[in-house]
Amino acid sequence: MTLAGLALPAVVLMAVVNAYPVVYAGIQALHDGDLLNLGNFVGLANFRDALTDPLFWRSARFTVVFSLCGVFGSWLLGFALALMLKPNFPGKSVFKILLLLPWIVPIVVSSMSWNWLTATPDSLLPVLARDFGFGRVMFLADPTMAMITVCLFKIWISYPFMMMMMSGALEGIEPNLYEAARVDGANSRQQLRYIVLPMTARSTYIAWILMAMFSVNDFATIYLLTGGGPVDSTTSLIVLAYRSVFQDFRPGYGVAISFLMTGALVTLSIILFRQIRKANIA
Amino acid sequence: MTTSAATAPRTAAALDPRRAGLGRTFAAAIVTLVMLGPILAVFWLALRPRLYTDITGPTLETFGYIFANTDILLWLKNSAMVSILATIVSVMVAAPAGYVLSRGRGGAVSAYSLFIFVVQSFPVVVFVIPLFIMFASVGLVDSLGGVAIIYVASSIAVACWMMSAYFDTIPVTLEEAAWIDGCSVFGGFVRIVLRNSLPGVLSTAIYSFLLAWNDYLVALVFLRSDDRFTLPIGLQTFFQQNQTDWGPVMACAVVMLAPPVVIFALLNRFFSIGGIGGSLAGR
Repeated sequence: MTLAGLALPAVVLMAVVNAYPVVYAGIQALHDGDLLNLGNFVGLANFRDALTDPLFWRSARFTVVFSLCGVFGSWLLGFALALMLKPNFPGKSVFKILLLLPWIVPIVVSSMSWNWLTATPDSLLPVLARDFGFGRVMFLADPTMAMITVCLFKIWISYPFMMMMMSGALEGIEPNLYEAARVDGANSRQQLRYIVLPMTARSTYIAWILMAMFSVNDFATIYLLTGGGPVDSTTSLIVLAYRSVFQDFRPGYGVAISFLMTGALVTLSIILFRQIRKANIA
Repeated sequence: MTTSAATAPRTAAALDPRRAGLGRTFAAAIVTLVMLGPILAVFWLALRPRLYTDITGPTLETFGYIFANTDILLWLKNSAMVSILATIVSVMVAAPAGYVLSRGRGGAVSAYSLFIFVVQSFPVVVFVIPLFIMFASVGLVDSLGGVAIIYVASSIAVACWMMSAYFDTIPVTLEEAAWIDGCSVFGGFVRIVLRNSLPGVLSTAIYSFLLAWNDYLVALVFLRSDDRFTLPIGLQTFFQQNQTDWGPVMACAVVMLAPPVVIFALLNRFFSIGGIGGSLAGR
């Protein structure tokens, strides 16, 4: 009974500020109103409109690309850095903190800095690209390059989270295991394959699920760097939802997009969680 | 073959571990320098003189300029108030909830846990309009308090997981001893568990603070008047008006990134997010 009392503040708070808005938004998705009026009941028309809109599918495709980069790109980089920081060496703890900075620095600030690095033909990276003989690379003005730049920006922002998760997992491995493997003649690649990867698998899967959620729901990273352009090439579903609500004033449509997106996301994470539990990873 | 390849660098390291260590330091320094390039650029650009001034070379004059000619001190104050308020409330709500997640068993706790997970999956865009309408009727639109409430709401799920992960490391026998001595569940939680959870509390507080301090979307939607702007909105507005005048823009950026960096530098030894995996997949 008292346990329930301890849970009460969070339950009340989440019911009012999280659950109620979701229910209200669900009702909005079935109406055609504007920001302040609910409007007429239109059934599933908003969902039908979304699923037949080519821009919805283009945004869905970019969301998938962006999230895959966010999850696996930042995992590879973060894991590599965690491995680099595993042995003891002078200054290790300083590097461990410094490397977390991209995650701590506000996105408003880092997006401005990336903007300075890439936006105009006279920015640092385009100039470097020209000097190295890649010709005129338009980092943010060319649709494909803009997609790549946004994905790189996402990886750069997210790798510290992965580094923290994987560092924690690496610390949990018994040093004896490496010792035993070495006695059995395993080289470092074999140790990585047969000890490190299996022993960190659980943290890895959980980090992937969390990062997938963070990436799909990530509005600021994309919006601040490119605003979704050029020609909608970096518009993800969340940016599309934001624009539908606050620029086109069609909240029902925007919420319908978010619901389709979240539905897919929750289904995917539940399947992954089942998988983790079934695999019964250490 | 494989054995010799694996042992060769080890013997070299064993012969001169100091040198091998310094080699690693050097490699790590280069990697760090590359990864921090965009952040170093912020500091470097902040030293640029303003456009249309006579100053040449690096200068700190831009800082004097932004403090005198922009509302940055007001934005700083607003951001600090919102973030600190959100952090305190978030920890106070998440700590008991995390305790329930950590110690509770049974269907109700599982349902609670699933509820948190599903709520956490919805993007802020979904919450924003209903909250906007709800807040408009009670005067919380364009108010710092209203924004702080939404920050609490968006950090609460991960905050609960973080607190729960920390409580998992505290042996339940401690409370059991207290209960036998006549302590209530609440008393045991506050006097035994919470008192031994400073790192967990600080960890959660840092997370909530960073989330509130760095947010852009909520402030963009809810804050309308100039005098209620927080740093992200103030800075973004200033950036749009002074696109090419990088000196003052980046000087403001330095002011904005300083507090979270200083807080993290001071408290990082308490910060750990790795544990949330266990509290997430445990049930």
